[in-house]
Amino acid sequence: MISALERIFLRIAPPVVGLLFLVTIWCVFFWVPTDAALGLSQRIFYYHVPAATVAFLGFAAGGLASAVFLAKGRPEWDMAAQASISVAMSFATMVLITGSIWARTAWGTWWTWDARLTTFLVLWMLFASYGLLRSFARGTELGSRYAAVLAIVGTLNIPLVMLATKLWRTIHPQVIGNPQGGIEDPAMIATLGLSMLAFFLLFVLLWALRFRVLRLGERLEILLLEAAEGRDRR
Amino acid sequence: MLAVIWKDLMLEARGRETIASLFVLGLLVLVLFNFAVDVDASNVTSVAPGVLWIAIVFSATLALGRAFAIERENGCMTGLLLAPIDRGSLYIAKLIVNVLVLLVFEILLLPFFFLLFGLQVGSSLPHLALVTLAGTVGLAAVGTLFALAALGTRARELMLPLLILPLQIPLLIAAVKASDLVLKGGSVLALGSWGNLLLGFDVLFVTAGWLVFDYMTVD
Repeated sequence: MISALERIFLRIAPPVVGLLFLVTIWCVFFWVPTDAALGLSQRIFYYHVPAATVAFLGFAAGGLASAVFLAKGRPEWDMAAQASISVAMSFATMVLITGSIWARTAWGTWWTWDARLTTFLVLWMLFASYGLLRSFARGTELGSRYAAVLAIVGTLNIPLVMLATKLWRTIHPQVIGNPQGGIEDPAMIATLGLSMLAFFLLFVLLWALRFRVLRLGERLEILLLEAAEGRDRR
Repeated sequence: MLAVIWKDLMLEARGRETIASLFVLGLLVLVLFNFAVDVDASNVTSVAPGVLWIAIVFSATLALGRAFAIERENGCMTGLLLAPIDRGSLYIAKLIVNVLVLLVFEILLLPFFFLLFGLQVGSSLPHLALVTLAGTVGLAAVGTLFALAALGTRARELMLPLLILPLQIPLLIAAVKASDLVLKGGSVLALGSWGNLLLGFDVLFVTAGWLVFDYMTVD
C-alpha cells in the first residue's frame, strides 16, 4: 500500500514540482509588484523565506523522527530522520546564501550578528556536525542512536539558542533595523504562498527520494551479506 | 554509583595528569589571547570574561574526552555497563566526576586569570564562582553525554568538539554575559535572564543526558 503510494508520488511529483517552480519564477520576476522601500532585491524573499520555513520544518521533523526511532527502535524511522535532516540541510544552506546576497544589497554587509541570523547559523552548524557524526559512525546501530540523540538534543536546544542570541542583541544597540515589514499586496501574498507550496513539495519529493535511496542501500547490504553467506555454505 | 565516582576520583588524585594538563592548557589560552586581542587597560573588562570562558571551554573539551577514554583503554566499559546500576546513574556519576575535575582546574586557573588581566578580586569572587559552577555543570552535561558518542566513531578526538561546541553556544553566551556582569560588581542574584538561561541549560541537559544515556550504550 505505502510502496504503491510512494511509486505514484514519485511518478507524479517531479513534473508537478517543476511546473510549479516555473510558474513561481514567472510570478516573482514578471507579475508581483516591486517593493516600494526595498526595491528589486526584495524579490529574493520569495526564495529565501520558503526555503527557511521548509528547512525549519525539516529539522523539526528530523528531530521528531529521531525520537520515535529511539522509542521504537525501527531503522525506518532512523532513515526517515536522516533523509529529512540531510534535505533540510541543503535548504538551510540556500537560506544562508540567499540571505547573505540580500543583506549585501539591503544592509551593505554580507553578515551581521543579528539574533535571527546567529540562531540560524548555529542551527546550520549543529546539523552539519550531525552529518559528520553520521559519516564517521556509518553502518553501526549505535551510530544511528548517537545521531538520534544529537538530533533530539539539538532540537531541544534551539529555543535556548534563540533566547540567548535575542538577549545578547538587545543589550547591544540594534544597529540595523528589523527588515521584516508586513507585506500587504495580495499579489505578494499569493506569490509567497505559491512559492511556499513549491518549496514544500520539492522538499517532500527530495525527502522521498533520499529515503528510498537509504532503504535500498540497506537492502542491498543485506542481500550482499546473504550472497556472501550462501557462497560460504557451498 | 558512589563507587564509580570514588574510583574515578582516586584515579585522578593519584595520577593528577588530567588536572595538570588542563591547567597548563588553560594558562596557555589566557596567554595566547592576551596577544591575539592585545588586551590593555581600556578593553580588559569587556574582553576578560570571554577569554576566561574560551579557556574553560577548550580545556573542558579535552577533559571530557578522557571521561570514557580511560574506561575504554583499560577495557572496563563492559564491566561498567554490566554493573547492576541504572545507566542514567552511570551518566550522573561520570558527570559529577567531570564537574569536580573541572572545578579543581578552575580553582587553579582563576587566580592566574585575575593576576594576568590585572582585575580586582574584591567582592565579585563568590558571585563569579557561582556563575562558573553553573556554566561548568552545563558544559560537563553536554560533554559527558557526547563523549561516549564520540568514542564510538572513527575520528574520536576530532568528533567531540564538533559535537559539543555548537550545543554549548547558548550556554557560552549566557556564561560570558553573566561573568561580565558579576565582574563589574553585579550580584549573582541580579543576573535576570542570563541567570535563568544558565540554569535552564543546566536543567535541560542534565535531564536529557540522564534520560537518553540508556540509548547510547549497547545492550
